[in-house]
Amino acid sequence: MLLEVKDLWVRYGGAEVLKGVSLEVEEGSVVSLLGANGAGKSTTLRAITGLVVPSSGEIWFDGERIDGESPARIVSRGIRHVLEGRGLFPYMSVLENLKVGAYLVKDKAQVQRALEDIFTHFPVLKERRNQQARTLSGGEQQMLTIARALMGCPRLLLLDEPSLGLSPMMVREIGKMIRNVHERGVTVLLVEQNTRLALDVADTCYVLETGSVAACGLTRELMKSDLVRRAYLGL
Amino acid sequence: MDIGVQDVVQSIINGLCMGGTYVLIGLGLTLILGIMNILQFAHGEVYMIGAFTVYFLCVLQGLNLYLAVLISMVTTAVLGLILERVFLRPLKGRFLSYVCVTTGLSLILQTVVMLMFSKGTKQLPSLWKGSFDLAGVFISRERVIAIVMALLLTLALYTFLKRTKYGLAMIASAQHREGALMQGINPNVMSAMVVAIGSGLAAVGGALGGSIFNLDPYMGGLAFMKGITLIVIGGLGSIPGAVAGGLILGIVESVLALFFGSQMGIILPLVLVIVFLIFRPKGLFGHD
Repeated sequence: MLLEVKDLWVRYGGAEVLKGVSLEVEEGSVVSLLGANGAGKSTTLRAITGLVVPSSGEIWFDGERIDGESPARIVSRGIRHVLEGRGLFPYMSVLENLKVGAYLVKDKAQVQRALEDIFTHFPVLKERRNQQARTLSGGEQQMLTIARALMGCPRLLLLDEPSLGLSPMMVREIGKMIRNVHERGVTVLLVEQNTRLALDVADTCYVLETGSVAACGLTRELMKSDLVRRAYLGL
Repeated sequence: MDIGVQDVVQSIINGLCMGGTYVLIGLGLTLILGIMNILQFAHGEVYMIGAFTVYFLCVLQGLNLYLAVLISMVTTAVLGLILERVFLRPLKGRFLSYVCVTTGLSLILQTVVMLMFSKGTKQLPSLWKGSFDLAGVFISRERVIAIVMALLLTLALYTFLKRTKYGLAMIASAQHREGALMQGINPNVMSAMVVAIGSGLAAVGGALGGSIFNLDPYMGGLAFMKGITLIVIGGLGSIPGAVAGGLILGIVESVLALFFGSQMGIILPLVLVIVFLIFRPKGLFGHD
């Protein structure tokens, strides 16, 4: 198991946002975390990368316990988190954003290679490399933020609602990108409200409802259950 | 009152020179505010300590002035590191705490320096005695050197920010705090660096100011105010803004002082701050 979340509880002020969430992500797989707005999906990702400190519970990555570590430390272990809202550096250029993505990479030659690799796979980013990130379209920004995460050669990629605000055509592109990333051997944990996209790319799904896991299992198994499909997947 | 070309040219040079010292203190202030979200109320005292360190090394210990400035830049940067680590980092982001602590620090530093050094005005030796003769107009050499030094340091800072990994990381931290964390950037490292760099620059600013004018333990207060004015004019966190703000402030102050007397130096910054806050709160080069 590359990532294990065990009985995670997170409290903001008086409210309990996560109530004993447990999930497992196997290396090399794509796992989707589904659920309505406010179910706690983003909070789960933020707890994994240390942006939120759990009240109790354990988070294990690659056999080591990571809950309570600083975000920078957790990221250095090989986890990249593409934030909700993208988290780009708006007044920095595409190229500069990508360079900062490689902050932890010590080998300059490797950074160059990663950059060329990104430009080959995302020609639009190469075209716009000197443009400020804020001038890019929604779809291009999403591309950039994923590309930036890839610059760090992560083992685990956390994606928080990558389809938000994108046209159906762009959403299909995002799906392609995720499958592409998966083929390169990166493990993906995807948080999505767009059920179609989530089911399309994931081997395994978890459904969160008001802070708890309501259903989980292999995608194809979940799709077989009428109850699950209607209640949780809206299908 | 007859004001000739000579007076105006000298006034502009004077203004550029003063502007240069404002830029050197303003750069640190704006970067610290942009990257750490802290208004460092003791930054004027850091500027002052930079100047007094040069006084100690050069006047009291007999070192060459330029060597003393270099050493002061380093020791003041280290002072900045200590201030950040001991007084700022434990406060963990509580803005009001920063205001209280840095204000307290500024008073303490002023008093310490006042007690350490004897009374009476002090001055640093001239950077370069004499003047240039430019088609009949005499331009003070030391002021030109001060302008050049301020310019070189600003360029060095700009190069560091735009062309090194740590510099880009600093800019990134200012633009999206969480986004920067998610690239593995350690905010404590960024804080330490920005305070060290800002303090080093302020030290040179203080030395330049102390060389052209006098030194006193309370010179930091006015310098701090100029720094704030510069941030409002130029825009928060912006280097070009800090440069533009500093030079504009310096030149306008100086030229107005020529025509209307030196009280302008006190009133003008305040007027400019009010005008900018009303009509262009984000400053000349600021964002959002």
